[in-house]
Amino acid sequence: MTIIERIDQRSTETINGYKVRPGKPLPFGASLIQNGINFSIYSSAGTSCTLVLFEKEQDQPLVEIQIPENYKIGDVYSIIVFDVNPEEIEYGYRIDGPHNPGAGHRFNRAEILMDPYARLISGRDEWGKKPNWERPYPYRARVPFDDFDWQDDRPLEIDPADLVIYELHVRGFTKDGSSGVSHPGTYAGLVEKIPYLKQLGINAVELMPIFEFDEFENSRIHPESNEQLYNYWGYSTLGFFAPKAAFASTGKFGMQVDEFKQLVKSLHAAGIEVILDVVFNHTAEGNENGPTLSFKGLDNKTYYMLTPEGYYFNFSGTGNTLNCNNPVVRSLVLDCLRYWAAEYHIDGFRFDLASILGRDPWGAPLSNPPLLETLAFDPILSSCKLIAEAWDAGGLYQVGTFPAFGRWGEWNGKYRDCARKFLKGDQGQIGEIAQRLQGSPDLYKHTGRSPATSVNFITCHDGFTLSDLVSFNEKHNEANGEGNNDGNNDNLSWNCGAEGWSDDPNILQLRQRQMMNAMALLLTSRGIPMIVMGDEVGRSQHGNNNAYCLDSPISWLNWKLLDSNQSLHDFTKALIHFRLQHPALRVNSFDNKHTYSIDMPGCSFHGAEPWKPNWDENSRQLAWMMTSEPQTTSNEADMVYVAANMAHYASWYELPKAPASYQWILNFNTGDTNCQHFTPGNELAQNGILVGERSIVIITASKIKPESTI
Amino acid sequence: MELSKKTTKGWQVIEVNGQVDSKTVGDLRDYLDENIKGDLPVALELSDVPFMSSAGLRTMLTLYRKTQDMNVKLCLVGLIEEIAETMKVTGFYQYFTNYPSLSALPEEQK
Repeated sequence: MTIIERIDQRSTETINGYKVRPGKPLPFGASLIQNGINFSIYSSAGTSCTLVLFEKEQDQPLVEIQIPENYKIGDVYSIIVFDVNPEEIEYGYRIDGPHNPGAGHRFNRAEILMDPYARLISGRDEWGKKPNWERPYPYRARVPFDDFDWQDDRPLEIDPADLVIYELHVRGFTKDGSSGVSHPGTYAGLVEKIPYLKQLGINAVELMPIFEFDEFENSRIHPESNEQLYNYWGYSTLGFFAPKAAFASTGKFGMQVDEFKQLVKSLHAAGIEVILDVVFNHTAEGNENGPTLSFKGLDNKTYYMLTPEGYYFNFSGTGNTLNCNNPVVRSLVLDCLRYWAAEYHIDGFRFDLASILGRDPWGAPLSNPPLLETLAFDPILSSCKLIAEAWDAGGLYQVGTFPAFGRWGEWNGKYRDCARKFLKGDQGQIGEIAQRLQGSPDLYKHTGRSPATSVNFITCHDGFTLSDLVSFNEKHNEANGEGNNDGNNDNLSWNCGAEGWSDDPNILQLRQRQMMNAMALLLTSRGIPMIVMGDEVGRSQHGNNNAYCLDSPISWLNWKLLDSNQSLHDFTKALIHFRLQHPALRVNSFDNKHTYSIDMPGCSFHGAEPWKPNWDENSRQLAWMMTSEPQTTSNEADMVYVAANMAHYASWYELPKAPASYQWILNFNTGDTNCQHFTPGNELAQNGILVGERSIVIITASKIKPESTI
Repeated sequence: MELSKKTTKGWQVIEVNGQVDSKTVGDLRDYLDENIKGDLPVALELSDVPFMSSAGLRTMLTLYRKTQDMNVKLCLVGLIEEIAETMKVTGFYQYFTNYPSLSALPEEQK
């Protein structure tokens, strides 16, 4: 076949010794073409644009090419530069324009700016490796190859109602020496632990931020060790299109794109979806005192929400707020998510402080935010999970009212708060917990949403771990260097009788039981359960409820806990598998359809007496029963009865009468000091059970098997 | 980069000496295009390759696909540990049969 040479493979002129021609405005960013690179960048108020090319890791530019005015279409400068080696160059831009902060403009030709569409960023290639602080243009855009061989991989599209999410920090998951992996703290290290995740039974990981950020973005000092603290969590994005290099064992070779794709491919092969925690509410440029890295110098007024005086609105609590409902920024967010979905096969996104995404450019909440609507109806994102952290630091709290467009799920903060109160025996929780464990119909039913709208969680990266939730009444954040003033004061936690470490066996036993109770509640609730890395083995942060800055064993998962807390691990694992085997727990409808084959309601509530829940303010006892019709592969209806006793005394719970030809089987009992889970379950001798103080039992009904005859 | 070829145990062996990166992949690709014949399996001898960049890894995979199209076997020989590790974590390793040295190559029948 004769290949016709394209006209645009030839330059039209030479600038500063480099062959160039007018580029294509789309796609934005830098794209590889046959024998060159197409660069495209937007600036509405800039007056000229210069492309700055560096040889990799060199301090001074290789060449600066002012993009001719006739190369500009609309507000987009684009240029093709020929015969440059994509592996060997880094690029940035200088933009000329007014420097008038009062009017929202902060152009400064002296700064070299990073491309907001940079898909590969160098500068923080190895975690914690001290950079040269004097280096001009510290975070540099590069051009990746985008021809990863996915073979037959694609996003898994697991039904949201069937998900069990495991939230983890890529570095913290395997950084500790006890992980035993070849590449600790990296994407590759996580791949080595996939068998662990698979055995645990979870089917989605939610990765804390993996967009490029600077771990050195923290000026505080550890008050005891005097060591520099980090930005360990990474909620401060440098580049929305680039995976964090220092999370890749191959980051020093610039191969983080391939390593991260291989992680996604490997997780998919194990049946595990990948959800990214994305931070579109702010950037790493801070407020008027922060550095100019990219957006500020490219088009400050477009990208940030500004006060009439030109200062930065701070709805994120971190200095600036991305102007998400400006059409240009909206396109950037959409392009970004499409890119991760299409190019990285990402299965879903969790949006940090998502309520900001629904504010107008002046900060007012919109009733129909165009960005949220655009994402909800986008054809490429149509199968992606979209999960909102439905509040922001500016006081907007939208759990239950987040503009969902039939698509958005929510981190259910009300589930977390109520579950914590219920577990520690607060009064007045029975009515609300009954809503929460059905998937929060009080929040979601009236707008036609379903239980899987609700991502149920009791703990997450932000706040106490489960172990600390039952060991501390107060936060202990001194190590963060802010005099214990950071982090939430309202933890709804209970230390079970002593603050922190204790050797009192009664206290330790109660804590263990409370952790199991939490898992039992979470994993028998309708909606999507989410557990945070290490809670299944009782990981503690020694009472620190905001370890965002601690790159240390406090934040890392100690894999030796698998041995020391094996009973909690085995219990959690058994519960997760139990959930996946019981469709009654995953019914994704608020219709509460009757299960006619056994003549039982789809969801019913009970007390110590069947069918008689005690809704009294002082009640701390509730039982619930969830049922569903037989699946196509079975002739047995599914029934799960859960009795929770958060009172400080044991009570006898009489069970509802089992349907004809069914018998009750005990599967879990957190109050049993010898054994908390039974596989296979134990047939109940009586139609009731003594539920110990602060304990949960889980019982199922199975068809009585005919006696085998010899 | 130095490139040479020989035939051993029924394999056409391409010996590569030097770094495989975006500066050298063009030479390697041209050499492979010119020298690989469709009648013998191909062994790429890489024990004198100290580093392979992203572009280098891609050339390996392209070669794998090409030899697949030609219905010719391909293997890598003598890959140093660092490169093998990089190939594993970036997903390139799984495509290739690897042998530690030419002496480990199995005899191929024509």
